[in-house]
Amino acid sequence: MKIKITAAILVSMLFTISSCTDLDEQLYDRVEDGNFGNTPKEIDALVGGAYSSLRGFADGISNNYPTCEYVFFLNETVSDEATIPTRGTNWYDGGQYQDAQKHTWKADNRMILSAWRYNYTGIAKINSIIYQIDKSSLTANAKAPIYAELKALRAYYYYNLLDLFGNVPIVVDFADTALPTNSTRKQVYDFVEKELTDAIPHLTGNVVYSKMTKNVAYALLARLYLNSKAFIGTERWQDCIDMCQKISGYTLAPDFFANFATQNEKSPEIIFAIPYDSKAGTVGNYMSSMSCHYLHKLTISPVGDYPWSANGMCAQPGVYSEFADTDKRKKCMVAGDQINLATGTVITMDNGEPLTYTETVTSVADAKENEGVRLGKYEMKAGETWERDHDLVVIRYAEILMMQAECYVRLGSADLAKPFVQQVTARAGEEMPATIDLNFIDKELLKEFTFEGRRRTDNIRFGTFFLPWWEKGTTEAYKAIFPIPSTVLTTNKNLKQNPGYPLN
Amino acid sequence: MNSKNKRIVLHQMWTTKSLVFMIFMLFLSAGMFAQGKKLVTGTVYDNTGTVLPGASIIETGTRNATTTDFDGKFSLEVAVGGSIEVSFIGSTTQKVQITAASSKLEVRLQNDGYQLAEVQVVSVGYGTQKKSDLTGAISTVTADNLVKGTISSTEQVLQGKVAGLNIIRPSGDPAAGATLRLRGGTSLTASNSPLIVVDGIAGVDINVVQPADIKSIDVLKDASATAIYGSRGANGVIIITTKSGTKGVSVVYSGLSSVGYVADNLDLLSANQWRGYVRQTGNMDAVDYGGNTNWQKAIEQTAISQSHTLSINSGKVDSGFRASIAYLNNEGVIKKSGLERISGNVNAYQYLGDNKDVKFDMGLFANIDKWHPIDYRIFERAYNLNPTIPVYDANGNFTSVGGNIYENPVEILTNRTVDNERHRLLGYFKTEVKFLNDFQAVANISLEHNAVAGGTYKPTYAIMEGRTEAGYAQRTYAEYTNAQGELYVNYSKVFGKHSVSALAGYSYLENIYQGFGAQRSGFVSDAFGYNNLGAGYNYRLGDVYSYKGKSNLVSFYARANYNYDGKYLLTATVRRDGSSRFGENNKWGTFPSASAAWKISNEDFMSGTKDWLGSLKLRVGYGVTGNQDGIGEYKSLSILGVGNDSYYDPVTGTWSLAYSPKQNPNPDLKWESTRQINVGIDFGLFDRITGSFEWYQKNTDDLLYTYEVPQPPYLVGTMLANVGEMSNKGVELTLNADIVRGDKFTWNANLTLGHNIQKIEKLSNPTYKTDVIYSGSLHGLAGMSGQYSQVIAEGYPVGTFWGFRNAGLDENGKIQYYNAAGNVVAESALVDADKTDLGNIQPDLTMGIGMNFTYGNFDLGITGYGMFGQKALNATNMMLNDPTRLPSYNVPDDFLGSGITSSPKYSDYWIEDASFFRLQTLSVGYTMPLGFKNSKLRMYIMGENLAVFTKYKGVDPEIGLNAQDGVDQTGLAAPGIDKYNNYPRPTTISVGLNFTLNN
Repeated sequence: MKIKITAAILVSMLFTISSCTDLDEQLYDRVEDGNFGNTPKEIDALVGGAYSSLRGFADGISNNYPTCEYVFFLNETVSDEATIPTRGTNWYDGGQYQDAQKHTWKADNRMILSAWRYNYTGIAKINSIIYQIDKSSLTANAKAPIYAELKALRAYYYYNLLDLFGNVPIVVDFADTALPTNSTRKQVYDFVEKELTDAIPHLTGNVVYSKMTKNVAYALLARLYLNSKAFIGTERWQDCIDMCQKISGYTLAPDFFANFATQNEKSPEIIFAIPYDSKAGTVGNYMSSMSCHYLHKLTISPVGDYPWSANGMCAQPGVYSEFADTDKRKKCMVAGDQINLATGTVITMDNGEPLTYTETVTSVADAKENEGVRLGKYEMKAGETWERDHDLVVIRYAEILMMQAECYVRLGSADLAKPFVQQVTARAGEEMPATIDLNFIDKELLKEFTFEGRRRTDNIRFGTFFLPWWEKGTTEAYKAIFPIPSTVLTTNKNLKQNPGYPLN
Repeated sequence: MNSKNKRIVLHQMWTTKSLVFMIFMLFLSAGMFAQGKKLVTGTVYDNTGTVLPGASIIETGTRNATTTDFDGKFSLEVAVGGSIEVSFIGSTTQKVQITAASSKLEVRLQNDGYQLAEVQVVSVGYGTQKKSDLTGAISTVTADNLVKGTISSTEQVLQGKVAGLNIIRPSGDPAAGATLRLRGGTSLTASNSPLIVVDGIAGVDINVVQPADIKSIDVLKDASATAIYGSRGANGVIIITTKSGTKGVSVVYSGLSSVGYVADNLDLLSANQWRGYVRQTGNMDAVDYGGNTNWQKAIEQTAISQSHTLSINSGKVDSGFRASIAYLNNEGVIKKSGLERISGNVNAYQYLGDNKDVKFDMGLFANIDKWHPIDYRIFERAYNLNPTIPVYDANGNFTSVGGNIYENPVEILTNRTVDNERHRLLGYFKTEVKFLNDFQAVANISLEHNAVAGGTYKPTYAIMEGRTEAGYAQRTYAEYTNAQGELYVNYSKVFGKHSVSALAGYSYLENIYQGFGAQRSGFVSDAFGYNNLGAGYNYRLGDVYSYKGKSNLVSFYARANYNYDGKYLLTATVRRDGSSRFGENNKWGTFPSASAAWKISNEDFMSGTKDWLGSLKLRVGYGVTGNQDGIGEYKSLSILGVGNDSYYDPVTGTWSLAYSPKQNPNPDLKWESTRQINVGIDFGLFDRITGSFEWYQKNTDDLLYTYEVPQPPYLVGTMLANVGEMSNKGVELTLNADIVRGDKFTWNANLTLGHNIQKIEKLSNPTYKTDVIYSGSLHGLAGMSGQYSQVIAEGYPVGTFWGFRNAGLDENGKIQYYNAAGNVVAESALVDADKTDLGNIQPDLTMGIGMNFTYGNFDLGITGYGMFGQKALNATNMMLNDPTRLPSYNVPDDFLGSGITSSPKYSDYWIEDASFFRLQTLSVGYTMPLGFKNSKLRMYIMGENLAVFTKYKGVDPEIGLNAQDGVDQTGLAAPGIDKYNNYPRPTTISVGLNFTLNN
C-alpha cells in the first residue's frame, strides 16, 4: 500500500509540474513589431531597411535572386539597346525574353510581375517603417525629417510604377488592408510630385552618398518633368531645367569608367546609387555574369577565378557600331575574339568554335553561343565573388547635364544645350556636332547610358519605342505602359487592367 | 521494497518451481510401471522453430494433461495406441498418434491465422486493445514480418507491408530517408508524413529506433483511430512498440555483410560511339579530348556494407530488461556517399506490489549517424560530359574543361569535404499505478533530442565554388528538443455481458529548435579544412548566424469503449489541442470521432458457417483530425527580423543590418482539418485466410498554402493561409494466407492492395482567390527558368501534368503538337489555351506482396512492391535528347536513331507511364538448432532490388514525391519529375548470420 501512495504522490506531482495551458509564442531571434523603434539606433536600423529594399528581395520568380535584376532585364530587353536571345535551349524560359524583344508581352510575363513586386514590396516596407516610426517615442520634430526621407524614397518606387504601369493603386497606410483600386496615371504623377516637393525642405542639402537628399529629390523631379509629356501629355521642359539647376556639389568624373569601378562610391559624379558590398553579403548587380559566356572567366583570370557566367543578355545588333572607335565609352561592351589568359590564344568553346563575340545575332529565338556583344560596363576583375562590390548607379551628374541639353533643344534653344553636351562628349573623347538636334541627343543618351536600365523611358519619350527595330515590328501606343500582372488582377478584383490589354 | 527483498522473492520462486518439477517427475516415474501405458517425452515448437512454453498436451478423450515447461519440454504417460493433442493459443491443435515406438516427440505447431488475430494486442494510442475488439482501421506488422536487409532508414521496414501506406525512397543514397504517404496525403505544403509514436511518445523521429529493436508496428489509418492524436492525426499514425525484456535469458547476435552495385545506368554514347558519330557527320570542329570515359561509372563504386547487432534480454516474473547495440556501415554506390551509424537501446521495467500494482518502465534510445552528403549536381554533369574527356589529364590532375554545367564530377566528389553527424536521443520514464481495482493511472515523461553538426570545405583548387572563393569553409549546428509530459487514467470494468473502458488524459509538449553556423572564405592554405574558420580572411556580413524558436502544444483527450457480449463494439474519442503556432483567433481545436463494429460471426445465427467463416466483423468509423505541421513558428505574428538586409552608412563607410518586417501576419492561421469516414470488413476463411477490406473517404478543409495575395496592400505578394479543400477516397485490401501448413513444408503469402483517388475540390474562398497554382517547377533545367509542368487546380489531383499534347515527329524530326481544336500544329503556333491535362502522378494501384516458405530447417522469403498507373515526367530524357548537345555534350544512345531535331520543350512527349513492380528481397536461409534450450544459428543469403519490371525509360521509375536534389520536401508541390536527380539504386547481395543463445 505504501508503494501505491508513494507512486500516486509522484504521479500527481508530475501532473502539477506539467499542468499548464499557456500558448503564448515566445520570441527569441526576432521581435514583435510593437516592441521596436525606441532608441536612435533602432530608428536607424528601421530606416536602413528602406534603403536595403532598393536592392530587391528573393521573390521566388527571378531565380530567387534579388528582383532588381529582373526589373533591369525588363527595361533593357524591351528597349533598343539590349536583348536576351534564346541560345540553344538556354534562356528560352517560356519565351518571356523573346516576348520582351518582340513587344508581344502578356500580363503573365514573370519579369513584369517581378517589377510590380519589387516596387510594391519596397512601398509596403516603407509604409511599415512609417508605421513603426508613428508608434515610436520620438517627438514630432524629430519625426519630420525621418518621414520626409522615407516618403521621398517611397516616391522613387512610385515614380518607377508611374513609368512602368501608369495607373497603379496608391497605398500609403500600412494598417489599411482594404483592397485598393487603380489611381489614374495623372494621380500617380501628382502624388510623386507632391511627395517629393513636400519632402525637400526636410531633406539634407549636403552631398551624402547613396542617401535621399535634396539633390536626389531634385533629380527625380527633373526626371518626372522630362517625361511629363510621355506620362501625362503635359510638356514641362523648363521645370526640368529649373530642377536640374538646383542640383549642386557634383562634377563629371574625368574617367568615365570610374563610375563603374569596383570602388565607384568614390566617383564625384554619382548622385544616387544602390550600394553593394561583398563583405556585406549583398547579392545582385552582377550584370556581366548574366551576359558573358561561360568561358569568359578565362579572359579575366588565367585560372578562371571569376564567378559563373550565364551567357544571357547582349547588345542588340547595331548598338556596338553606333559608337565611333575613338569613343572611350565603347569599351562598355565586350566584342571580338576572347583571349584565354593562360594560353594567349582565342578560347575554344565546347563545340570547337572560337569564342568571338559578334555584333550580329542570328535571331532572338535561335542565337549561337558566341553571338552578341556583351555588357562590360562595370569592372570585372579576377577574384570577384558572386556578391559584387560595385554599386548600382541610379542617377549620375551626366544625366543632369543631358536632361538640360535635351530640354533646351526641345524648347528650340539648341545653342543653350551646347555647354552641357560639351562636357559629356569631351570626356568621351568625341567631337561636338555643329548642330545639336533631338536625334543627336537620342544617340548620345544611348552611348552615355548604355545598359544603365533607363533606355526604355528614353525610347518612349523619343517615340522610337513604337517604331520597328531588330526583331520587332510597330508597337501599339498602349504598350508604353505594361499590363498589370495577371496574378495581381486575380487576387484583387477591384483593380482594372491597363487600357489596350486583354482583361486577363 | 528494497533490492534485498526482491532477491529473496526470486530465489523462492526458483525453489518453488524446482520443487514442483521434482514432484512432477516423481509422479511420472511412478506411472512408468502402469500396464499398457508409456511415458512420452517431447518438445513443442512454434512455426518458426522456437520452443513453446505453456503449450497444453492432453491425452485424447481423457483428462490426462500437462503443459510444456520453460524449455518447451513435456512428458506424459499415455496409453499406447492412443493419441495426444497439442495446442497453444493462436495455433492450430495438432494430434499425434502414440505407438510403442514413440519416445522423444518433436511437435511443431502452426499459426492459426485468425485465432492469432483474435488474441493479438494492438496499440491504439494511450493503451492497447485486442485486435478483435478494434473498431477503427489499423494494420499491424510484427517484427517477423518487417522488411530485412541493408536498411538504414526505419521507414523501409514497412515497404509494401501496409495497404494504403506508400513508402517512397527518392534515391539509392543510404543517407536519404524515405517518404511515407498514407491514403494519398492531405496537404499541399504541410508534412504528409504520418505521426510517429514510439513507446507512447508522439512526434518523434522514426529513425531514433533501429529495426532490430522493433517488436511491432501498428498503423492507424482512419480518422476514428487517429482522432485521439487530434491536430496531428490527419496523415495517419504509426505506433512503434519496441522490444522489452521477455521471460528468460537470451543473447542474440545478427550480422550482415553485403555487396551493392548500381542496378541501372542511362545508356549514353561511349567515346567510340561519339567518335563514330563525329566521323559520320564530318564535324571538323568537334573536339576529341582523347579519353575514353564512362562518366556515370566514374562516379560509382561497389558498395561494401556491414551491420552488426547484439542484444541481451533477461526477464523474470516482475522485472525485465533488454539492451542492444548496433553498428551499421552502409556504403553508397556513388563514391564517398554512405551512412555509418552506431546505436544503442536500453529498456528496463520493474513491477512493485503484490498484484503488480505499480510498474516503472524506462527506455533510452541513442544513435549517432555519420555521413558525407554528396553534391547531387554531379549526376547532371555525368550525363553532360563528353565521353572523350579523360577523368585525369596527362599530369594526373583532374581534367577541367570549362563549359556550363560541365565540371568534372569526379573532381567535385574528390575535392570536396562534407562531414555531417547526427545525434538522436530519446529517453522516457513511465509510471503505471493501479488503484480502486478498475483504474490505472499512467504518467510518462520523455525527452527527445536531435542534433546535426556539419562541416564543409571546398579547397582553393576545387573547380566548383572553391577557386572563386579561394577556399570555402563552413560549420553548422542545428538541434531540436521535444519535451513531453503525459498523464492519463484508464478505467475498465466488466458487468455481465457489458464491458466498458474509458480513458482521459492531458499532455504538454514543448518543442525548442535552435542552431548556429559560420562560414568563411579566403584561405591561404588548405591545411585546416573546415577546422579553423578564423583562418579565412574573407568575412562577410551574414557569415555567422544563430536562431532559436519554440512552440508548445497542450492537449486534453478522452476515449470510451463499450463492448456488448463480444458482438457489438463502440468507441468514441475526443481531443482538444491548443498550439502556440496557431493564430490568435484560432488557438484551440477540437477533434472528435466515433466508430462501431459488429462481430457478425459471433452471432448465433452464424453458427452454421463456423466451419468456413471463422470470423467476420464489420466496422464503421467517422472522425475529424488535423494537420498542423505546415505552420512554422510565429507565422501568425507581425514580426521584425534581421536578415540579410544590410544598409550602407556613407558617413562611417560601414554596413549595418536593418530590422525589417518579414511576413504578412495571419491571425486566423490554423490547422488543416480532415473529416474521414471509413467502412471496413475483417474476415477469416477456411481456417487459413485472414484479411481486411477498407473503404474510405476523406475531405480536407482549410488547406494551407502560400497563396498569392494582392500586393498592395499586402507586405509581400504571398501569404500562408487556410483556404482550399482536397478529397481522397479509396479502397484497400489486406490478405494473409497459410497456403500449405505441413509438418515439414509451409507456405505463407500476404498481399496488400491500395487504390486512392485524389481531387482538389477548392482553391478559393471569399478572401483569397486562386484559379490555379503552378507547380512541378522545371527551374534549373536549361531554358526553363520559371517554367512549371504541373498545376494544382480544382477538379484535379495534385501532380497533374499540364501542357501541350504532342503529335509525334514530323518529317524533319520536329515534335508536332495538337492544339485545343485537335489539329496538328507546329510549336510556333501553340497558344496557352492549347495546354491540357496530360495525366498525373497518382498511382491507380499500389501493391505489396510477400511469400515465405519453409522446408525443414530451410526457409525462403520473397517480397516485392509495385505502383501502377502513375505518370512521370522524364525531364532527364527531355533535356538529353537535345540536338544542340552534340558534339559538345553527351546524348543517349537512342537519340541518334530518334531523328529528333527540336529543342527540349515540355510536353507529353516526355511524360511516361511509370508503373513498376520491384522484386525487393529474395532470401534463402538455413536454421541450425544448437541443441540446447532452443538456441540456434540461422545463416542466410539475401538479394535486394533484384529486378524492376517497368516500361519506364529512365534509370528508375520510382521517383521521389518531391525530390529536389534528392531531398524530399514535405509538401506535394513537385512530385513525379525525374530531373537529373537519380542517385541510382543499388542491387545488393548480402550474407547474414543470426545467432540466438538461450539460457
